[in-house]
Amino acid sequence: MAEMTATQLSAPAHDDHGHMSAEEHNENMKLGMWLYLASEIVIFSMMIVGYVLFRINEPDVVELAHSKLGVGLVTANTFVLLASSFFMVMGLRAMQQGNRQGMLRWIGATALGGAVFLAGQYIEYSELAHLGITLGYDIESQWQTFGMRFYAPTFFHGAHVFVGVLWALEVMRRGAKGRYDQNPIGIEMFGLYWHFVDVVWIMLFTLIYLV
Amino acid sequence: MATIAVPLGGGQSRQEIEAVRRPALSEYLRWSVDHKIIGVQYGVTSLLFFIIGGALAMGIRLELWTPELDFMVSGAAYNSLFTMHGTIMIFLFIIPMWAAYGNFVVPLQLGAKDMAFPWLNAFAFWLIPPAGVVMLLGYFVSPAEAGWTSYPPLSTLFSGDGQTLWALGAHLLGLSSILGSINFIVTILNMRPPEMTIWRMPLLCWAVLATSIIAVMATPFLAGALTLLLLDRMTGTTFFDASGGGDVLLWQNIFWFYSHPAVYIMVLPGMGVLSEVLSIHSRKPVFGYRMVGLSSMAIAIVGFTVWAHHMFTSLQPELRIPFMITTMIIAVPTGIKMFSWLGTIWGGKIRFTSAMLFALGFMSMFVIGGITGVMLAALPFDIHVHDTYFVVSHFHFVLFGGSVFAIYAALYHWFPKITGRMMDETLGRIHFVFTYLGFLITFFPMHIVGMLGMPRRVAVYDPAFTDFNRLISLAAFVLGFSTFIVLYNIARSYFHGPIAGANPWRALTLEWATTSPPPPTNFHDDPIPYEDPYGYGTKAATAYIEAIDMAFDRREAAPSGAD
Repeated sequence: MAEMTATQLSAPAHDDHGHMSAEEHNENMKLGMWLYLASEIVIFSMMIVGYVLFRINEPDVVELAHSKLGVGLVTANTFVLLASSFFMVMGLRAMQQGNRQGMLRWIGATALGGAVFLAGQYIEYSELAHLGITLGYDIESQWQTFGMRFYAPTFFHGAHVFVGVLWALEVMRRGAKGRYDQNPIGIEMFGLYWHFVDVVWIMLFTLIYLV
Repeated sequence: MATIAVPLGGGQSRQEIEAVRRPALSEYLRWSVDHKIIGVQYGVTSLLFFIIGGALAMGIRLELWTPELDFMVSGAAYNSLFTMHGTIMIFLFIIPMWAAYGNFVVPLQLGAKDMAFPWLNAFAFWLIPPAGVVMLLGYFVSPAEAGWTSYPPLSTLFSGDGQTLWALGAHLLGLSSILGSINFIVTILNMRPPEMTIWRMPLLCWAVLATSIIAVMATPFLAGALTLLLLDRMTGTTFFDASGGGDVLLWQNIFWFYSHPAVYIMVLPGMGVLSEVLSIHSRKPVFGYRMVGLSSMAIAIVGFTVWAHHMFTSLQPELRIPFMITTMIIAVPTGIKMFSWLGTIWGGKIRFTSAMLFALGFMSMFVIGGITGVMLAALPFDIHVHDTYFVVSHFHFVLFGGSVFAIYAALYHWFPKITGRMMDETLGRIHFVFTYLGFLITFFPMHIVGMLGMPRRVAVYDPAFTDFNRLISLAAFVLGFSTFIVLYNIARSYFHGPIAGANPWRALTLEWATTSPPPPTNFHDDPIPYEDPYGYGTKAATAYIEAIDMAFDRREAAPSGAD
């Protein structure tokens, strides 16, 4: 029993009993987001490798596609997406400075950039379909499997842009209610995602349209 | 008279401790963000799928009673039988069952109040029931029949709409697994109290961390492969169709790049459980604690380099030897664990509780599965027994003799914490005997029929194997029956089992330093971990355990100074 009384029975006082502090919460969110993006990289890289192998094996088909398609539209589109990433940064900066209206404007511009990109992708897909580049395989077609190897990564990326646009609108809805006035981590999360989508596009643009 | 930190502050009162009640059963049927509720939801859901998967296994053994096709209407029906058996057992039983224990136990062991992302945790769980239903819906169209590995062209050109539903279901389960694993990693890395350093972490947490890293990095490969499979099936692409410019081997490579690491997703948490159970029930420190924690990480990393040993018969010949070597290397970290377990129980005060029996069962069975694993890694032998019952025997020794035995050990070990009631030890031992013998007699003879040349995945076989198959089927029915013993034990103990108290096994890890079941915030006060999670056999450890007893169960008898 003597030992019992010598036992230290009280825990050192913790600052915030029972709840995470905002900093801990933010750290968790960021680590979680990076892990999520790591898993996304895996899926994208599978599709990118699928395209690259085709590019190496069938250079003629890809060059034909390049000559028919041109890079004007997609370059403009890439610029719009890059600009939207800049707007995103400005939106976060505005919120960090306590400027809620500025944040709403910049994030709105981000969403608009994403929407313009999707419209451009739609136009491009229509042109490609016109050229006879389809998802399915046709033994008669000169395009071989270019269609599926091209559409799979670009459409998968487009779907990510679409989700990003919806997310931007949700950030605006929450931001308008003052959700991020104290802690803009929610905007930062969206920012990580949006920059990721942007970086993936730069890779796709380089691999599919430039080389 | 050393000062011993005990797990509780002075904050909790008798009333607070007594006010802790079991959650009402209805709470388990609702959306909840409490990791303990979610853990039980995972567990019960997995158990339901275990029963379905087990019933399908009984169907397989019934069909194989005679060498002819009699029980099933066609070979295709038999194909769907083993396809659904394998898929359900892997994706809907073992993997989510580890999420169950991980959810319930890991935050408690760390001394955390909850998981890092409670909402995401609930979301990941609620993906599972619909995914299971989508898979089972296949039975109403034409069930998947390409095996759980779903190789094209079987899964693209020769399978009905059930295969599409199979892929959709697997996709949802993969998403659930990724989200759940992100949650575990963040929780284990970020949610530990300052006193819980990484080298004080219980080995189950180490194992769940390694498992989650594998799941986050490997499962997206499955997601990508399933996406391409769905495109091939639904939109006419030809990613896996060689006649259309695709590549059949692409699927095998991607699938096994996920599915071999997934083998470790299924067994690493079980290895963590084993370290806990063996140490606590033999009252000895874990032998080589750091090496065991690191060997989990080593298995996670090396596990990514061995996938093509599943493809020895389809791979470029010059790649076979390198994969044979990496596969044999992975036996080294696994061997570290095996020797750690032996060293842990060596000279200990072993208590043959049901949990301990199943843990010892794991050790004896897993070592057989591990040895046949190295045999199969040896190329000349593998080509001889490729696609025979030897392979079936091997992976059942690691997945049933390994994972399922560990799941049972964990059940008997943590049931008191989860429900506040002890399980019936007599029924537990009876369950063990039936399971152990049923398992051994079911699966050991499969080695022999495999080496004699009986192929797997066939309903009609050479009549020379009839006697073996009858023996196997009889034992399998005993094994199937043994499941009802544990189900009865769970139901009976939940209502009538003896009250467990906070720490019935006199353990040092933090999940035992709170009431059973724990309150919604897990601990009444900020817990302090003992300096060594497995430091049994010292005076300080005894004092720590007595302090827990005093605080929760015999508080009235405690000297007034103990507050």
